[in-house]
Amino acid sequence: MTLAAVAKKDFQDAVRSRSFWALSVLFVGLAMLVAYIYIELPGGLMVNTGSSGARTSDDVGLILFLSSIAGLFISLTAIVVAYRSLAGERELGSMAVLLGLPHTRRDVVFGKALGRTLVLALPIVFGFGTAALYGYLSLNEFSLLDFGTFIGLAVLLALAWISIVVGISAATGSTSRASALAVGVFLVFELLWGGLSVGILWVANGFALPATTPDWLYLVNTIPPSAAFDAAIMALIPSAVPASGSAASEIGAFYGTEWLGLVVLLAWIVVPLAIGYRRFSRADL
Amino acid sequence: MSAIECDGLTKQFGRVRAVDALDLRVEEGEIFGFLGPNGAGKSTTINMLLDFVRPTAGSVAVLGLDAQADSLAVRQRVGVLPDGYHVYDRLTGRQHVRFAIESKQADDDPDAILERAGIPEAADRKAGGYSKGMKQRLVLGMALVGQPDLLVLDEPTTGLDPKGAREVRDIVREERDRGATVFFSSHVLGQVEAVCDRVGILQDGELVAVDTIEGLRAANGAGSRLRIDLDRPYEKSPATIEAIPGVSSVDGDGDSDLTVTCEDPAKNDVLAAIEREGYRITDFATEETSLEDLFVAYTDGDAVDSRAATTKVGTPPSNGEGPAVEVSR
Repeated sequence: MTLAAVAKKDFQDAVRSRSFWALSVLFVGLAMLVAYIYIELPGGLMVNTGSSGARTSDDVGLILFLSSIAGLFISLTAIVVAYRSLAGERELGSMAVLLGLPHTRRDVVFGKALGRTLVLALPIVFGFGTAALYGYLSLNEFSLLDFGTFIGLAVLLALAWISIVVGISAATGSTSRASALAVGVFLVFELLWGGLSVGILWVANGFALPATTPDWLYLVNTIPPSAAFDAAIMALIPSAVPASGSAASEIGAFYGTEWLGLVVLLAWIVVPLAIGYRRFSRADL
Repeated sequence: MSAIECDGLTKQFGRVRAVDALDLRVEEGEIFGFLGPNGAGKSTTINMLLDFVRPTAGSVAVLGLDAQADSLAVRQRVGVLPDGYHVYDRLTGRQHVRFAIESKQADDDPDAILERAGIPEAADRKAGGYSKGMKQRLVLGMALVGQPDLLVLDEPTTGLDPKGAREVRDIVREERDRGATVFFSSHVLGQVEAVCDRVGILQDGELVAVDTIEGLRAANGAGSRLRIDLDRPYEKSPATIEAIPGVSSVDGDGDSDLTVTCEDPAKNDVLAAIEREGYRITDFATEETSLEDLFVAYTDGDAVDSRAATTKVGTPPSNGEGPAVEVSR
């Protein structure tokens, strides 16, 4: 079992990447800016754009405000940090050095996912941690537990994206294919999904939009990692649920709960890695 | 038990058969030179030893363990310098060695390893800035971690200057003397002749010869070439000379200088026969067949085939030089 050795080596290697640092500085700056705007410019902010109206000057509002930048940063940085993780080593030839040592291919794939998640966790913990400290010093209501939970979920989202990108990198032998696929997944699930889900609804309803939205649309809408992340926040931080109720609360089906978000997030962690590992374990390197 | 044992080992990549029914045994404690031109299938064979590539047919055992099923145990006991390797540009030399030590759960001192590899001064520099030779030494150092029972070195001297290549050969001997088996591939015979106990020559995925270097020489007419200058062009049938036991070819009939490839003891018989035919020998010289000729003879497909079929009256080899060889296909 040498997973830890692979993860450590990989962490040491990836954490020195310049593009990672550039993105991280950007992210930490952005987190600070968002926290500043939220805390110093209160009153006029409509964090929950819904019927419930604005929430200001409590930590949950800050969390929801920060979560809006988390999805984009985590997904894009995961792609930058991880698309070459296995395909790059195969292309260059360091994979032969790595696997010349007594590591199983399983330890290599999972060790890399772990190492790169730890790398991505650095700016998340630092950026959101700084924002939390700022909030702790400035806000009337501040729950350390809520913020800790939020940061933990952000790291879980990072693990999901790293799993997607490492899985893709493990499944393909080339970095150009890996980056194209990873960006494709990002586009489909994070940018185009809203339109796609309407399209799915339209097709499923016989090429017409129904008068009332069916329950399963909630299921479809929770598939993107960032949507699952938002749902998971509501599941674990009950005060994050808007007063008017969440999308899940309107659904009678068994999956009509925010906990679905956590389940989807776990599926994003397990499934891509499993597929990537399966393909990698059978490949001629 | 053999250190490496391939039985009918075959690897097909699409339409290309990179390794074709290879049977090979490398004994424990020997330095085995695995020779062949680029593209002969050496690296594919090595990649199958290490389970980087899965055989299409046949089997490989390394240190008595199945190379596929027990690959982890194999790699625990093997030190590897792979072909076309790449180091981690952003990690230092010491971090590389430490990683190898952690991976093998060995207790080596990283600095001692780097010292042995000849790059102690570069321990704290990032490997991305190393020269080709330094990277080679670094990966070789990593291969030495944990006192492996078998060293698999794919082209370990390529990219090194003569001094570096000699140091690699010194390390190879030290490891053998420690009790390790060394499997050492190269496309340059000169790099292995000084150090190998036995060599195998791979050509188009097939093993065309396995022997000691002396054995290869002996099998190829003792590797002697006799150059004879005559007072006038030789116009008799070369069959007379070729009939002498130990002679494998006669070249240059019709000229005043002849080249006869023969075993050493036949030299005097050849000279005597020519004089008996009434020619005066103005000068003669013998040449040892160079190992390079030997290698070319085995791996130059046309020459090998024509020579393999050579009767004593055969056509001269296409390159006009080189020893005649027996080819075991």
